[in-house]
Amino acid sequence: MIEYIIRRLIALIPIILVLTLVVFSILHMTPGDATVIILGSEYTEELGAALRKELGLDQPMLVQYAKYVFKLLQGDFGMSYVTRAPVMDQLSVRLVNTFWIVICAMVLCVSLGIPIGILAATRPNSVFSQSMMVVSLMGVSMPIFWLGLLLILLFSVYLGWLPSSGMDQGFLSLILPAVTLGFNYMANIMRTTRSSMLEAIRQDYIRTARAKGVTEHAVIYDHALGNALMPTITIIGLNVGMLLGGVVLTETVFSIPGTGRLLVEAINQRDTPCVLGALVVMAFCVAISNLIVDLIYAYIDPRVRAQYRR
Amino acid sequence: MADEMKNTLEIKGLTIQYVTGDEVVHAVTGVNITIPVGKTLGLVGETGAGKTTTALSILNLVPDPPGKIISGEIFLEGEDVLKMNDKRLREIRGNMVAMVFQDPMTSLNPIKTVGEQIAEGIKIHRKVDDKASLEQAKSMLELVGIPGGRAGEYPHQFSGGMKQRVVIAIALACSPDLLIADEPTTALDVTIQAQVLKLINELREQSRMSMLMITHDLGIVAEVCDTVAIMYAGRIVEYGTLEDIFDHLRHPYTKGLFDSLPDIGNRRAELKPIRGLIPDPVNLPPGCAFHPRCDYAKPECSQQLPAIKRISDMHYVQCHLYADTDMSML
Amino acid sequence: MESSSAPKRNFTTKKEFYRQFRKQSIAYELWLRFMKNPTAVLGLVLFVIIVLGAILAQTLADYDTVVIKINIGNRLHGPSWDHWFGTDELGRDILARILHGARVSLLIGIAAVGVSLFVGGAFGAVAGYYGGRLDSLIMRAMDVFLCLPDVLLAMAIVAAFGKTMVNLVIAIGLSFAPRFARVVRSAVMGVRENEYVEAARSIGARDLWIIRHHILINCMGPIIVQVTLYVASAILCIAALSFLGLGIQAPVPEWGNMLASGRTFMRDYPYIVIAPGLAIFFSILALNLLGDGLRDTLDPRLKQ
Repeated sequence: MIEYIIRRLIALIPIILVLTLVVFSILHMTPGDATVIILGSEYTEELGAALRKELGLDQPMLVQYAKYVFKLLQGDFGMSYVTRAPVMDQLSVRLVNTFWIVICAMVLCVSLGIPIGILAATRPNSVFSQSMMVVSLMGVSMPIFWLGLLLILLFSVYLGWLPSSGMDQGFLSLILPAVTLGFNYMANIMRTTRSSMLEAIRQDYIRTARAKGVTEHAVIYDHALGNALMPTITIIGLNVGMLLGGVVLTETVFSIPGTGRLLVEAINQRDTPCVLGALVVMAFCVAISNLIVDLIYAYIDPRVRAQYRR
Repeated sequence: MADEMKNTLEIKGLTIQYVTGDEVVHAVTGVNITIPVGKTLGLVGETGAGKTTTALSILNLVPDPPGKIISGEIFLEGEDVLKMNDKRLREIRGNMVAMVFQDPMTSLNPIKTVGEQIAEGIKIHRKVDDKASLEQAKSMLELVGIPGGRAGEYPHQFSGGMKQRVVIAIALACSPDLLIADEPTTALDVTIQAQVLKLINELREQSRMSMLMITHDLGIVAEVCDTVAIMYAGRIVEYGTLEDIFDHLRHPYTKGLFDSLPDIGNRRAELKPIRGLIPDPVNLPPGCAFHPRCDYAKPECSQQLPAIKRISDMHYVQCHLYADTDMSML
Repeated sequence: MESSSAPKRNFTTKKEFYRQFRKQSIAYELWLRFMKNPTAVLGLVLFVIIVLGAILAQTLADYDTVVIKINIGNRLHGPSWDHWFGTDELGRDILARILHGARVSLLIGIAAVGVSLFVGGAFGAVAGYYGGRLDSLIMRAMDVFLCLPDVLLAMAIVAAFGKTMVNLVIAIGLSFAPRFARVVRSAVMGVRENEYVEAARSIGARDLWIIRHHILINCMGPIIVQVTLYVASAILCIAALSFLGLGIQAPVPEWGNMLASGRTFMRDYPYIVIAPGLAIFFSILALNLLGDGLRDTLDPRLKQ
């Protein structure tokens, strides 16, 4: 298994490289001169030319890319055009906030979404199950930035229970962003768990289990659940990307200094190294979470496990 | 009462329907079946005749919804299965009555080892701990001809025939009084079919178990059954001992089944399939459901359901042809 | 012979009738099946309302004199008979802006899905049809893009090329393309092995002909469903980008940028963020319901 993980991690390298190349070349096509942005009002022809040389911007794109990758592999994301500080410094500070929001959102969704999905599947005609289906349908259609605004209106403006922005109140500050970010995700998990559970309950091996005299509780939680969880895990993994996209919006709505906010600011200030750095880090997170999903998959399903041993 | 106790299974007037939306599927209608202790009954019919539904009802496992048991009684050693509470049902399932399912590929849980799956029933009914039940599971595996050492493997590591052996081991784990075998060989290769059939037969004889063998294969019937029930469109149209059915068959449908078998003695003989198709169970033809396909159909066949005619102690037929025939003539 | 008369008894006269007009009957039966699904019908009705709103927007409210013209004396009025959803911080009627916003959202959403269908569909069809090395090469490349959330990819493209409408269409279109490639690929692989394709090949049809005339036609079902669902995602994506200030720029009305500019005033004038949000919510809901309904209609096997 460890060998498999290492192999997968090595396989990540070309993916990250290709992705970096694509984003690098897209951003390289940005019209205008980066030195104008860096120098701002101090810009003169000579200063610009000197800075271009210093930053290596006068070299061909592929050379610049090679240099960038070489530094990237050492954990150096380059220098921000705007703050003139290493991008790595900004990223590492901001990543902490993003990390907590995403983790809280995930824990919330998984711990609510899966049980609700199971209940909805085992009691398909109950009022609870029907209303949960309506909630999940709303969740799938709800734009998260609007949900965030509505939650702020209700819980901060009218009720005054929770802070509407920033991260300075610890866990309290995390609640609204996590709910905002996770609602859509939870709706997805719920729907998937419900439908895969309904599917699993109809399988022949469930009938075999019942014919053995297994209790209904054990039929559902012991026999059906393990099989039903696999599509759910796939959705959890696939949607980590969605979650990171959503983090940009959530951080904007709640004015939280996180990676997503950094990315938007960097785009507006045309701070290319910063944009690139934030995107690479996010892509890396998605790739890692896909790997984790594959490992959980292998843990649950002996058929997948057997493939990995090969 | 004493009489009833000799029968492992006695089904009386069983009627089951599947209700979906505004459609009603008449899956089983007025079925009577008796299996004496240690005997085997063959339930024969085409796909969709209601055989599997009948079998599931013995375990009270007809999926509800859409399945509804409308009427009837199912006595398992004198006790009506349909009147049992959930707890009692769990006690008899796998213990007094067990079932071998048709498709071994899907009947085993893919994420549990075969040992766990066999041990589960033992743990429930014999009230033993994990270790002891796993030991017994291993000996069950040996009994069906699989090395006990493979108990820790998963279903995907076994071939189709091996999986069916595992399913048999699960069914026999608590030595039930009645074994229901639902087309246990249909999904298997021909060569494996014979092995599995032989295994079931041997194990059944060792433990004097009663058996309900569901099949559409008359060859299997000839090999293992004592009595035979021919089922068509949810009804039992002919019922008799193996000899009655094979040598003195009465119902045109039974005749059709035999005519459509290839004759090894006469390889040039043309097969005579039953014309037409099995009727749509939502829209059964009026009268005798078989009449549109029957070569002997008379006007009353399409109007009136034939009465059940007793031909001898064990031999019954439901057909208009014998309504006013003097039995002594036959 | 007579034997065939037995099962026929079960056909109603209606069904006999359809059989004679086979083509029409398939469309008609699909329509009947669709109409039996209440949530799908709700989705269709909502969608038709939104489309009508977009079409009639200019008739109901003139763009130059109502939608973008600043009227400070009228600012931040609550909902009234004159302004159903109130007026915004610059005194413009919110309903009028929402109607014109529907034009922008639908136009960009559909155009973007068109781009991704074309780009992703081409790659997916080729990958699915030829299989083998070409397939794994294309799909590996697409997988790389799937590592980046589509909103982020679109952000990068917009960041590089500027925030114009055409760039938005291209950005969203390209960032959805890998997903379409997957859908089309699996649909094509599903029909590729069918006998009618084999038959077409045997009479010497060229590959491109086969892809166009046999395979794509038979993949239409899943593709139509995906198009519907992705138009919803595209509309959401535009709104998200505009909300971040990276999409449609003021004064052009777009639901996302209406939310972004209204945000500042929402503490005292909450209605200013309610209406545009509802517009996004109902559009996405309509398209999701419609897409799910179409899936159930076109492939009843998937329905439970």
